Amino acid sequence: MAAAESTQDELYQQAADAYGPALERLARSYEADPEIRRDLLQEIHIGLWRSMEAFDGRCSLRTWVYRVAHNIASSHVMRQRRHNSRILVALEELENMPDQPVAPDADRREAMERLAALIRQLKPLDRQVILSYLEGMDAASIGEITGLSPGNVATKIHRIKAILARRFQEEA
Amino acid sequence: MANPPPPNGMNDLRKAWQSQRVEGTPMSIDEIRRKARKFQKKIGRRNLREYIAALVVVVFFGYRIWYTPDTITRVGFATIIAGLMYIVYQLHHRGSATSLPAEMGSESWLEFHRRELERQRDLVGSVWSWYLGPIIPGWVVLMVGLARTNPGHLHHFGLFLVVWNLVTALVFVGIWKLNQHGARRLQRRIDELDALQKQG
Repeated sequence: MAAAESTQDELYQQAADAYGPALERLARSYEADPEIRRDLLQEIHIGLWRSMEAFDGRCSLRTWVYRVAHNIASSHVMRQRRHNSRILVALEELENMPDQPVAPDADRREAMERLAALIRQLKPLDRQVILSYLEGMDAASIGEITGLSPGNVATKIHRIKAILARRFQEEA
Repeated sequence: MANPPPPNGMNDLRKAWQSQRVEGTPMSIDEIRRKARKFQKKIGRRNLREYIAALVVVVFFGYRIWYTPDTITRVGFATIIAGLMYIVYQLHHRGSATSLPAEMGSESWLEFHRRELERQRDLVGSVWSWYLGPIIPGWVVLMVGLARTNPGHLHHFGLFLVVWNLVTALVFVGIWKLNQHGARRLQRRIDELDALQKQG
C-alpha cells in the first residue's frame, strides 16, 4: 500500500516536473478567467495524481499526462458551456472567419495572449490538436492523445499552420 | 527593457508559446492528497443528501400506509415507495459520471468522450424503464384504491381523478419526448465522432 502510494507520488512528481509549465499553458487555453483557471489547473493536478495509481506504462508518460489534462479540461469546457452557451467553432470554420492579424507593433506577450484567445474559440478536439502542435508534438503523438488518425491530424495541422500564418506572421 | 517582438515564422511561434512565463506547480503532493480526500468527502455528502431525500419520501408514504384503512390504497402507496427507491438507486448508479482519472489516462479524447456521450444517451433514452415506468404500477393501484374508498362521491371524485391522471399522463409524455429529443441529439454527436474516427 505504502509502496504503491510512493510510486504514485513519484510518477506524479516526475510528470509535474516535466509537464507542469505545459499544463499551465493548457489551462490558459481552456479558461480565460484567472480564478477559474487556477481551479481548473488544480483539478488537472489532482486528476493527474489520482490517475498515476493506474499508470501501467502502456503509453508514454507524456501521452498519459496530456490525455488526463485534455479530458479534464474538455469536461470543464462542456460544463461551462451549459452556463454560458458560448459557441465554439471547428478549425474549418475558423479558417473561413475574417482575419484579425496581430498588429505589427504588438509585443510577444500580447501575441501569445491573442493566440490563447484564438485557441479558446475552438471546439475541444481542435484545441487539443493546436495545443499539441504548439507544444512541439508530431502527428503520431497527437493521434495517440486525441484518437484521430495521423492522416486526419496532418490535415488539421495544415489548416492550423495556414490560420496561424495569416494571423501571426507573414512568412510562416 | 523593451518587450521582445512578436514571433516571426512557425518555429519561432512554437518557441514563443513554449517559453511563456508560468507561475509553477500550484500544489505540493500533501496538498493534492488533502484536496483529493476533500473531493471524496464532497461526493459522500452528496450521496448522503440523496439518501436523506429518499428517506423523507419513504417516511411520508409510510405514514400514509400506516393511517390508510383500505388495503388496495396501502398497496398503492407501498408500490410507489418501491418504485421511488428503484429510481433513487438508478439515479445513483446511472447518473453519476463514471469518468475516473485512470480511464482519462488510458483513453484518447475520442474514446473517452464517446463513452461519456453513450452513457448520457442511454440514460436519457431509457427514461421509461428507470424513471417514469417504476411509478406507474403504484400510481394505478393507488387510483383504484382512492376510487374504491370514495363510492359516495364517485361522480365528482371520478371527474377529478380523470383530470388529475390526464395531467399526469401529459407530464410523463412531455418528459419522455424531451428525453427522446436529447437522446437523438447525443446520438448525432456520437455519429460525428465516429465519422471523425473513420477519416483517414
